[in-house]
Amino acid sequence: MAEQTQGAVPLSAVIADAATGVALALRGEGDPYALSGILRQSDALTPAAIRVLGADALAPYAMDQVGTPVGADDEAVVRQALTAYPPGADASEVSVWSYRGLVEASHAFLPGSAQHWPSPPEAAAGWVDHDPWPKLSHRVSQVAALALPGLAPGLTEQLATRTDDLARGFVRAVRRRDWLQAAGLGRWLARLPEAPQSLGLDSGLAFVRHMGGGDPRVALHVAAAQRFYGRGW
Amino acid sequence: MVTDRTAPVETAALAAEVEGLLEPAEADGVFRDTRECGGALLLAALLLISPPTPRPKTDIR
Repeated sequence: MAEQTQGAVPLSAVIADAATGVALALRGEGDPYALSGILRQSDALTPAAIRVLGADALAPYAMDQVGTPVGADDEAVVRQALTAYPPGADASEVSVWSYRGLVEASHAFLPGSAQHWPSPPEAAAGWVDHDPWPKLSHRVSQVAALALPGLAPGLTEQLATRTDDLARGFVRAVRRRDWLQAAGLGRWLARLPEAPQSLGLDSGLAFVRHMGGGDPRVALHVAAAQRFYGRGW
Repeated sequence: MVTDRTAPVETAALAAEVEGLLEPAEADGVFRDTRECGGALLLAALLLISPPTPRPKTDIR
């Protein structure tokens, strides 16, 4: 845990605030979305919060109707995050994939200064083929932010070969009452082309939202599945 | 409590916290134990279908 000045807002609270803003925007509620409006450049924790949210920080810009044009301030806060928290040499695969997702989303949704964004780093994907299904499910749920239109096409193709395992993981997560994992997996399953009919993904996602929707990141994943892939009620 | 969103934070510690938040360990599951639930259900069913407690006959005349 980071040592923070007495009275400072914990990082988790800043992330929760931002996730709430993204989820509201995806549901078409609240004010028109602006990343720099919910995470201000002057906030010391903004780069860290964007790095943790990854591509989800830019998810509302993937919608057809955003409401407001992307401003220079949005690009500035994303650039701050990419500069401040690059994955180190010993970074986990999830960390590299999350960073890659943020870079890809910047190229795709903040095209104004595309030539100035860093190149997406190489991210290993051997785990998709080799991980046993419970571990795979846990890891896939942690990169749920990449389940956005147009991002990580290669990873999506690989994950499609393990759709049944992810469906098993979804059921396992629901039974464990691990709503964040269930929401992340449900979001990926919404993106994959052949989620099993017998899974009942729509009612499953509705159940996850009902039970775990108090967690802003759960609400965000469920809203993304609904907005971009029309799954869940 | 007064909160300050511009308070300085220790960068290295924050970087470690970011890595931790990106890949947290899997939370412990909260299960309903099927055998326990089944046992409770069976007990309730047995109580429901059990015959009434025998009582001494009262001679009403």
